[in-house]
Amino acid sequence: MTTATLETPAQAKPAKQKVILCEGNEAAALGVALARPDMVAVYPITPQSSLVEHVAKLIADGKMDADIVDAEGEHSVLSVLQGGALAGARTYTATCGPGLAFMFEPYFRTSGMRLPIVMSIVTRDGITPQSVWGGHQDAMTVREVGWVQVYCETVQEVLDTTIMAFKIAEHHDVMLPVNVCLDGNYLSYGTSRVELPDQAEVDAFMGVKDVNWHVALDPHRPMAVDPLTGGSGGKGPSTFVRYRKGQCRGMQNSLRVIEEVHEEWAQRFGRSFAPLVEEYRLDGADYAIMTLGSMTGAAKDAIDEARDAGRRVGLIKIKTFSPFPVEALMKSLGKVQAVGVVDRSVGFRWNCGPMYQETMGVLYRLGRHVPSMSFIGGLAGADITVGHFHRVIEATEKLLSAPAPIEPVWLNEKD
Amino acid sequence: MTEHTKYLVVGSSHAALEAVTAIRMHDAEGSLTLLTRDPHLPYSPTVLPYVVSGRSAPDGIFLRDEKFFADHRVTLKRGNALKALHAERNAAELADGSELAYDKILLATGASPAIPPIPGLDQVSYHVLRTLDDATKLNAAIKSSKQAVVLGAGLVGMHAAENLVKAGAKVTIVEMAKQLTDGYFDAIAAGLIEKAFTDNGATILTGSRVVKLAPSTIGATLTLENGSTLEADLLLVATGVRPNMDYLAGSPVEHDKGILVSDSMQTSVANVWSAGDCAQAKGFFTDDKVMNAILPDATEQGRIAGMAMAGDPGLKQYPGGVPLNTYHFFGRHAISVGSSRVPEGGEVVTRFDEASGRYLKAIFSADNRLTGIYGVNEFFDGGVMCQLILRRIDLSAIRERFVANPLAVGRELMSKTWR
Amino acid sequence: MGKSYNTIAFDANKCDGCGDCMTACATAKVGVGDTARSRIQIVGSADDGFELALCRQCGDPKCVMVCPAGALTKNFDTGVIEWNDAKCVDCLLCTVGCSYAGIALDAGSGHVAKCDTCDGAPACVPACPHDALTYVTTSRIYNEVGDWEDLFAPGLAGCQGCNTELLMRHTLRRVGPETVLATPPGCVPGMGSVGFNGSTGTKVPVFHPLLTNTAAMLAGIKRQYKRVGREVNALAIAGDGGASDVGFQSLSGAAERNEQILFMVVDNEGYMNTGMQRSSCTPYGAWTSTTPIGKGSGGMPSQGKTQDAKNLPLIMVNHRCEYVATASTAYMEDLYDKLDKAIQASKRGFAYLHVYSPCTTGWRFPTDQNMEVARKAVETNFVMLWEYNRTDGLRFTRPVDDPLPVTEYLRAMGRFRHLSPDQISHIQSKVVENLAFVQQMAHRQSA
Repeated sequence: MTTATLETPAQAKPAKQKVILCEGNEAAALGVALARPDMVAVYPITPQSSLVEHVAKLIADGKMDADIVDAEGEHSVLSVLQGGALAGARTYTATCGPGLAFMFEPYFRTSGMRLPIVMSIVTRDGITPQSVWGGHQDAMTVREVGWVQVYCETVQEVLDTTIMAFKIAEHHDVMLPVNVCLDGNYLSYGTSRVELPDQAEVDAFMGVKDVNWHVALDPHRPMAVDPLTGGSGGKGPSTFVRYRKGQCRGMQNSLRVIEEVHEEWAQRFGRSFAPLVEEYRLDGADYAIMTLGSMTGAAKDAIDEARDAGRRVGLIKIKTFSPFPVEALMKSLGKVQAVGVVDRSVGFRWNCGPMYQETMGVLYRLGRHVPSMSFIGGLAGADITVGHFHRVIEATEKLLSAPAPIEPVWLNEKD
Repeated sequence: MTEHTKYLVVGSSHAALEAVTAIRMHDAEGSLTLLTRDPHLPYSPTVLPYVVSGRSAPDGIFLRDEKFFADHRVTLKRGNALKALHAERNAAELADGSELAYDKILLATGASPAIPPIPGLDQVSYHVLRTLDDATKLNAAIKSSKQAVVLGAGLVGMHAAENLVKAGAKVTIVEMAKQLTDGYFDAIAAGLIEKAFTDNGATILTGSRVVKLAPSTIGATLTLENGSTLEADLLLVATGVRPNMDYLAGSPVEHDKGILVSDSMQTSVANVWSAGDCAQAKGFFTDDKVMNAILPDATEQGRIAGMAMAGDPGLKQYPGGVPLNTYHFFGRHAISVGSSRVPEGGEVVTRFDEASGRYLKAIFSADNRLTGIYGVNEFFDGGVMCQLILRRIDLSAIRERFVANPLAVGRELMSKTWR
Repeated sequence: MGKSYNTIAFDANKCDGCGDCMTACATAKVGVGDTARSRIQIVGSADDGFELALCRQCGDPKCVMVCPAGALTKNFDTGVIEWNDAKCVDCLLCTVGCSYAGIALDAGSGHVAKCDTCDGAPACVPACPHDALTYVTTSRIYNEVGDWEDLFAPGLAGCQGCNTELLMRHTLRRVGPETVLATPPGCVPGMGSVGFNGSTGTKVPVFHPLLTNTAAMLAGIKRQYKRVGREVNALAIAGDGGASDVGFQSLSGAAERNEQILFMVVDNEGYMNTGMQRSSCTPYGAWTSTTPIGKGSGGMPSQGKTQDAKNLPLIMVNHRCEYVATASTAYMEDLYDKLDKAIQASKRGFAYLHVYSPCTTGWRFPTDQNMEVARKAVETNFVMLWEYNRTDGLRFTRPVDDPLPVTEYLRAMGRFRHLSPDQISHIQSKVVENLAFVQQMAHRQSA
């Protein structure tokens, strides 16, 4: 942790913030500009394209001082940034869906090299069937690769989280790449009022850049980056284990750091976001529904209506999906007797949503039987409406008195 | 306190200089002292006839300069001879009375003119030719000589005689042996040499011996065995050399005609080596130890001794001395490589064109290896011939061609065999 | 100590004994074309082969040792053994000392005479109509490079006879310590350049990129140093598989963006490090472990690779890089010249150097034959040595006007042993076609 972050003024008054109207992709681009990366590499893909277009325009207009690399594909996009990061650059890119799949090879390696690259995933469903629409399948597919992944609910959160992501990634206890996930279509193109932080304030928040203190390709301090580890019988495997364990420790450290950074953000800029898990009207609830990303807005409306109608239901929203916030979620789930989990992607192996599968693990740790079920909705850009959430609430409520169904509920199947 | 040096090299001619180079190739740091009785920088005795003739400037013959010794961190002690070797306590007693302790010593002290025990020789003034100072004195003397006598028809004597002839003196060469340049060239070659001299006005008295000398008004009167006399205003004694090894008196270093050495030039005392004209080493054609006081052998021996002293693992044993001589007389050349002795079952092939004076003699062993080759006005590459002998190259298939043209065929063999 | 000198080299196989070299020497040295007075002597016969007698300018010259007059000296700047006529006494002892007939009596002058290399421009060499004589000036490389630090660790573990280590060491010495080196998976890291278990094989920063992203990672590194105002070389030493196949996209992308990278491909025509599998640079007909020889099915025997090699360097020309060149380890002067140009070009944009590097293990030839195989590839025009830049276009640097039949190359190794006459004629026709194609490019661009 840099000194600057430790000297957070207790009573900071946020500077007057400019208010603008913009879409999520532009908000992400503005956040990137405020974080002052040295290098961005871009390759267009729907629904990410307008994000990199905004970045390119900010640079072209002199509003952002970064080297932009129009690479020939996502694989090279991430590879260029790896090189930049190893040479000391703060780096950024964005992708989604097939682009993310294409960059998987360097993607896997980024976390292993502990490079604090920030990448937005403007989430898009996985092909095939061919689709250019939103869904969490892309980000979910790579959840086990050692990147920190956070999901945003609003355009403002996209902007603020994009900036915070650099600070989380570059924290010396973390040193991991971070995905800021914003829902394709809903957040990428959704336009709303946004408060734009002051550059000087952001600079103070970010502190001193120091991204390759741990690994570098620099003739001033030559080293071999990622030499081969040998096979069994030598020290290769134990070296490998120490690397992996270090990655896991970084992931666990990030849970604390994400909280600290969100806290500092709130103090400096007056906007507070639940860093790991958000509870909405959970106190006094018998059961809960769980959400991720932009669907949460409609879900909250549905919760409000259900509460008004006397249902004892609350909402748990996950912001930090990787690492999975087990302890925080245990606290929230400890308050309820049943839970329904809404995913915007599928887990093929368990025939349920991926977040549901993760939740089942947490429920097991609770040591108490909590009936649960999986809902899958919003695939391929489908809307999850307040009406859909009422169905979710009703079905979850039934878990209090009836056996839980094994099959997931496909919310948009008959839309 | 006695001065100490790791390596002490005594002598300053070819053997000594090659030893210095070889030591420094392997041991760049060990203290190294070069001791020489000569007051001058190193030079070769072989060049002295040309100093006598005036062809070589006395200050242009030095083989190394002070800088060489400084660059190679060699302490050079000139004008101070080795007086006695105290091998038992690894110390050299010098002529100036000082002592020099060493770890290893090389005796490359060369040779001095052998002065024959002729009655009256000590009563007359005469010249020898072994040192630069000898040469400059002789150079001055020949300019005023009208009638000179040279005792000995070895290469030193012949060179000097030619210079005297060219300077205008009436020259007589007195040689005990039946021919000139005995031991270097055979009778036919010697005949060609003799003819060149007599054609130029010299008198050659071979098979002849001086029995008495006495001072005369112009210099000396020599009385020959047959009773005749010769008058000389300049007398040069060139009847051969003897190794400088008086300093060995009382030392355990074994010596015979010269200092006896092994195939790595080591003497009977482990940290004492010897090389060059004072050493007696194995011959190539005989296992007996022989004196082979020629320049190429001196360099070879010096190199081996230096490597052995420094412990250089690249050391190769001495293959044995091969006689090698070149002789330039009145614009003509004579070259001899190898032994004049015809081996058992061997064969001698000669080719002689009296009109042109071209003469070639090649000696082959029974199995068609070259053992010796001699030429007058017949040029071939002496170095190539020497390799043919040393490598014992089988010449069966090409002997005739070889004898017809040893220059071209030798080069072919060279290029195919050791290129 | 340890200095290297230029030298006159003789290829007996090319000599027909015409004697033009001797005429040229004698003319240059004594003003008349009397071959007997030449300091270079060709001996022998057409039946038995021609041989050479010439001063070798020995490092430890016996002629100098045995000269009693100090008339011969080794000039340690030029390497030439100099003869001083003012000191010489015509004793001929030098001719006895020399085992090589390198110094001999010149009857015309009455003195010895020897080669002095005409002060570094030997008259004999250009006079040879058959290129049997060459003046080898590679000493420059040794003398210059020898003073520079070897930036690889000692003891890289290449296969016996492999010349890639030579190439790597030379290249990195030349490029220097202010370098970030990328060695993607293949023989180069396989022999230990990136190191193992946390220890490095290189004294400069070095990394394993992916097989696929070498050029992209280097681009990022170079750009960041440029951004902060530091002069750092970005160097790749990659294999042909990673460059021409799976890594081609990032290579092409970086070239198109004209990233300031020096990208060297060591082309051993296959995935040799992983066990000799086929790459798109593997030539037609070659055995590899994935194009094996077998009886096949349906009467169609399996006879090695069935497609022609991709010509990666020509593809790079079509990116209009700052500099593109082909090179061979058998022609180090040519390679060095190109390396220097490539280094300079990489300061302006993308420089691509394609080095043909025979693989003793995968091509199946004796380990002492690497240079010979590399040389035969060029002498048959199987590979061509050329260079390209945008200003001057493409030009041959070592044109082979009288190429050997390609069989001379093919028979030098085991991977082509099974070829049928049809396959051989296919390869020969491809050589002709490729040559014509590159010649056309050279012609067009020079026009």
